Amino acid sequence: MSKLIWTLALPLIAATGAAMAQPPKAPPAGPGGVPQFPPYQVRSAMPEGDRLLAGRDAKAVFEHACGYCHFAGGMGSNLLTKQMLAMKRPPSDGILTNRRDLFPAYVKAVVRGGKGAMPAQTRVDITDAELDAVAAYLAKGKK
Amino acid sequence: MKLTLPPRVSPQGFDAALNAFASVVGKGWVLSSDADRDAYADIYAPGSTERWPASAAVAPASVEEIRAIVRLANEHKVPLWPVARGKNLGYGTSAPRMAGSVVLDLGRMNRILELDPKLAYAVVEPGVGFFDLHDEIARQKAPLWMSVPGNGWGSVLGNALEHGIGYTPYGLHARNLCGIEAVLPDGDLLRTGMGAMKDNPAWHLFPMNYGPTWDLAFSQSNLGVVTKAGVWLQPAPETSLELTWDIPEEGDIAWVVDTITPLKIAGLIDQNVFIPSWLGKIVLLGTRKDFWDKPSAMPEWRVQELLKEHKLGYWRVSIRLYGEESVNKAKAEVIKAAFKRHLDAPPFESWWRQGDEKHPMDITLGTPSAVPLQMSDWVGGRGAHMGFSPVVPATSEHVIGQLKRSRKIIAEHDVDFYASFTIGGRFANNVNMLMYDRDNAGQIDNIKKLFNALIDETAKAGYGEYRTHLGWMDRVMDTFDFNDHALRRFDEKIKDALDPNGIIAPGKQGVWPAAYRAQKKEGAE
Repeated sequence: MSKLIWTLALPLIAATGAAMAQPPKAPPAGPGGVPQFPPYQVRSAMPEGDRLLAGRDAKAVFEHACGYCHFAGGMGSNLLTKQMLAMKRPPSDGILTNRRDLFPAYVKAVVRGGKGAMPAQTRVDITDAELDAVAAYLAKGKK
Repeated sequence: MKLTLPPRVSPQGFDAALNAFASVVGKGWVLSSDADRDAYADIYAPGSTERWPASAAVAPASVEEIRAIVRLANEHKVPLWPVARGKNLGYGTSAPRMAGSVVLDLGRMNRILELDPKLAYAVVEPGVGFFDLHDEIARQKAPLWMSVPGNGWGSVLGNALEHGIGYTPYGLHARNLCGIEAVLPDGDLLRTGMGAMKDNPAWHLFPMNYGPTWDLAFSQSNLGVVTKAGVWLQPAPETSLELTWDIPEEGDIAWVVDTITPLKIAGLIDQNVFIPSWLGKIVLLGTRKDFWDKPSAMPEWRVQELLKEHKLGYWRVSIRLYGEESVNKAKAEVIKAAFKRHLDAPPFESWWRQGDEKHPMDITLGTPSAVPLQMSDWVGGRGAHMGFSPVVPATSEHVIGQLKRSRKIIAEHDVDFYASFTIGGRFANNVNMLMYDRDNAGQIDNIKKLFNALIDETAKAGYGEYRTHLGWMDRVMDTFDFNDHALRRFDEKIKDALDPNGIIAPGKQGVWPAAYRAQKKEGAE
């Protein structure tokens, strides 16, 4: 695996940029023009307590277990933004927490089965109890 | 995925083993459904994921639990495949080399045991990911930087133990390990280096043993289960300066290497210098069909068109300097003068200073990212990649030889050429990225043939790989042929002495315990 990165992910990030805070001190443009990046966001620590029991802190689990890719500028957000743009939806819908059309069963199916570049998540990555909480959190009350 | 039992284990025997494991970790941490087996498969497998099937996974939370599981595995003759976080993408993910092995998932062992800003090191368990350590350093505001690989999703220890490479001055990750604790195949517990003495405070500071040094014997290894290790970290620099050149022609890599290597060996350049070819810059700009809509390899004329269109050179070199501003300026002058002898265009210069935001995706600044995995989107469908990764001396003669050889073989198989060289000192790592759609049988068949040809021809020329996918572990081990494969004979002698039941990672890197040597042909491409 290589350091492909910064020249590369860029049109996508530029597209999502409208929906995001700008970094406090933007890095200068590089050769070919380096667009703005969303700032790195530190994830929540995994909440304490028995990971197999219900009642996990959904937001903290989401940040800890999904934030690698689903914070702004992450792999998942970049690819979903591209998909949203292709469907003529706003780029901000590339960020899962902005979505209004997610259902718990769909979230669980994608997490356990994987989708596109997203690998299936094991029950050590995210337990069933944690996934229940995260699915409800992303579905915003929908059943 | 249906259940594949370990060799010579009956269904009843397997259930008994899982029940025994559950008595150690609790039922909730023995994962043995069809869906669990799918989740532990190699998601980038060239072909069916069932080629390297795990039978189950068990997830301990402590060293004592690991010791108990290892003893039970011996008793039940059920082999274990330890993974740190199981994100070894491109090399097998968390799937085992031998069918039916139980994945020993150490993802729950994710404590950062020490973080010492003065002596610049951390002590971590295998489940600690690059993001975890990065975020803890940020929370504690410790003046420390990490070195991260392309995929920051994985484990700090797992990546170092697999000989992963990053792009900072601490980029040879295995070299950062200092003082290891490992559970041995009989359940015994060993601490290496100064840690062999109870409570010795220099455990993670002095990198050698009294007597033979064993730390790296546990890397790319099946001699034990690493349960914690010291990891040296880089003191956060005052400033950093990046110099970037686009290098126009393919053949220019010759002078680029001969310019960088002496500066790197002399210590004027500290980091591992990464030099990607043009496709590395285009691959995340869209999908392949946006640039070339035929299944055949992109022809040279189209490559030249794209380079012109996107104002790119064939290669891009970024050299990053770390430290005091005055020192970086002085180093930059020397480096710029060396490049100027070959290229008129000045480099693009970009400063970072304490307090500035870091590019969240610039891994030369030690920020973890999973964004490079986006490249799987390039081929479309369920995209995946494998890397062919030989090591050559860091001189133009060897680099150009390797470049020509692999280009020719890749072209003969009608596959796009996407290579990088990383100059790590006296050597260069050449990674040839081979991307494929996992649902395209013809493409996968071709990639496998290509991979075999690359290994064989490169070995004939005298070079070996530093790391490989499960399916090629034996083939690559075969290429290390000095004195009738003395290395493998030595590895297997030690393996059989320490692990008579062969229960830790049989087949790892082509090292087979006597108990399972008959399985060697299964799963080998």
